[in-house]
Amino acid sequence: MIITFKINGEIKTQEIKSSLLLIDLIRDVLRLKGTKPGCLEGECGACSVIVNGAAINSCMYLAINVDGKEVTTIEGLGNNENPLHQVQEKMLENGAVQCGFCTSGMVMTTKAYSDKCIAEGITPTREEVKKSLEGNLCRCTGYAKIIDAAEAVYKK
Amino acid sequence: MNFEVISPKTTPELLNAIYDNQTENFRIGAGFTDLINQFKTQETEGLILINLTQLKDDNFKLIIENKTNFQIGALTTASEIIDNKSIKENFPVLYQAASKLASTQIRNVATVGGNICNVSPSGDMTAALIALKATCHIIDCDGNERKELLSSFIRGLKKTSLTKKEIIKNITIPKNAGQNLKSGFEKVGSRKSMEISIVSLAYHLQLTNDGIITHAGVACGAVAPTIPFTTSACEFLIEKNINTISENDKEEFAIKVLEYANPISDIRASDWYRKEVLFNVSKTIFGK
Ligand SMILES: Cc1cc2nc3c(=O)[nH]c(=O)nc-3n(C[C@H](O)[C@H](O)[C@H](O)COP(=O)(O)OP(=O)(O)OC[C@H]3O[C@@H](n4cnc5c(N)ncnc54)[C@H](O)[C@@H]3O)c2cc1C
Ligand code: FES
Ligand code: FES
Repeated sequence: MIITFKINGEIKTQEIKSSLLLIDLIRDVLRLKGTKPGCLEGECGACSVIVNGAAINSCMYLAINVDGKEVTTIEGLGNNENPLHQVQEKMLENGAVQCGFCTSGMVMTTKAYSDKCIAEGITPTREEVKKSLEGNLCRCTGYAKIIDAAEAVYKK
Repeated sequence: MNFEVISPKTTPELLNAIYDNQTENFRIGAGFTDLINQFKTQETEGLILINLTQLKDDNFKLIIENKTNFQIGALTTASEIIDNKSIKENFPVLYQAASKLASTQIRNVATVGGNICNVSPSGDMTAALIALKATCHIIDCDGNERKELLSSFIRGLKKTSLTKKEIIKNITIPKNAGQNLKSGFEKVGSRKSMEISIVSLAYHLQLTNDGIITHAGVACGAVAPTIPFTTSACEFLIEKNINTISENDKEEFAIKVLEYANPISDIRASDWYRKEVLFNVSKTIFGK
């Protein structure tokens, strides 16, 4: 099966097996290793990516269903060459990263949520920020610093 | 996982795909948040998947206000339910159930039709829709349509009245008689986030301006093989005043709800605990 989609701004046409999962397309076919396989059951959020503006678990999504859509992974935000995205800056400033396994998922979920809040002109409360991250588990940090970072995105 | 996929773009293409595969082993997939986990533990060799994600038909996809009801497409996601102002205003029970389902990432893809057809006793949106006396609108691959009350559409644990030829197109909820409501969804789990319910209670009470209950819909999740609509508990509430309801009546209501509970003990909770929780939650829906 052949699909055409946008990944991190670039249009790609790719032949894939129809039962391929999005996480395997991203990591094994496109070799973008920033998206992490954690539980592979939709529980942990380490595999979160953004499809047409919405954060989803790439381990629970068929690759064929990104046909005609726009996918953003952590590699599509800031990296060594490009300036960091604001969410990444805040994660660094707040010391919200330890082993880093959950981090790309945390960043992608927070980016999608903050884009939505900004578009709607809303500044979320700390409780709302916490709820926005309920699908992302972290085994290291104890969450407080991640939530601080996600909240700091809204502070000038 | 190894299966073939058909991705119909229109309803005729969808019905043809169902028709052509009647002798095959096929499954229908919407958001895949239940199916993918099932596929991982099942043999999928030779399976045909009819993928609804790329279907473009408003009757399956949109929330539409009709004269006497609200119509919700089977492919509406939990996030779309949450973002819809009419749902939030008219059916807080459904808004709250969708908000409490899993996580943002799951809500962005999990559909109403999938929640119903997965027939789990802890289906959150399903419990809310049962309390709202929703009706399923079903089409088959010969072009026939039928409708059935959701509470009777679900026939037992993992069982619905759906045949191999059929698929749910949308769900309708009757409009409220007035604007005074006491409507909500209580979900009790062992933690706050990402939790399958130990017990859930969906309630939708319609009131006069003075607080007299005129219509009542109450359903409880995770305490029986199906999600029961608690008819006798609902009848008991009619004509009671929510502002002055006595502690005795609250207890009697909770006892009546409990009559519908036949819970199991599992890793999440014992049957005894589930009943205690259901009783206590039922008493508190009337507010202070
Ligand atoms: C981590 C995790 C947490 C979860 N937490 C919750 C929770 O808190 N509460 C809750 O209620 N659920 C929860 N679920 C279960 C699941 O997300 C929901 O049941 C969801 O609504 C299923 O919808 P779907 O579109 O993904 O269904 P799919 O997986 O696509 O389909 C589910 C079933 O429905 C059938 N189906 C789908 N659409 C139709 C249709 N239109 N007509 C006929 N048959 C159809 C499919 O054939 C399949 O049998 C969770 C799942 C995961 C993985
Ligand atoms: S790896 Fe996808 S949610 Fe855990
Ligand atoms: S930093 Fe290690 S899992 Fe979150």
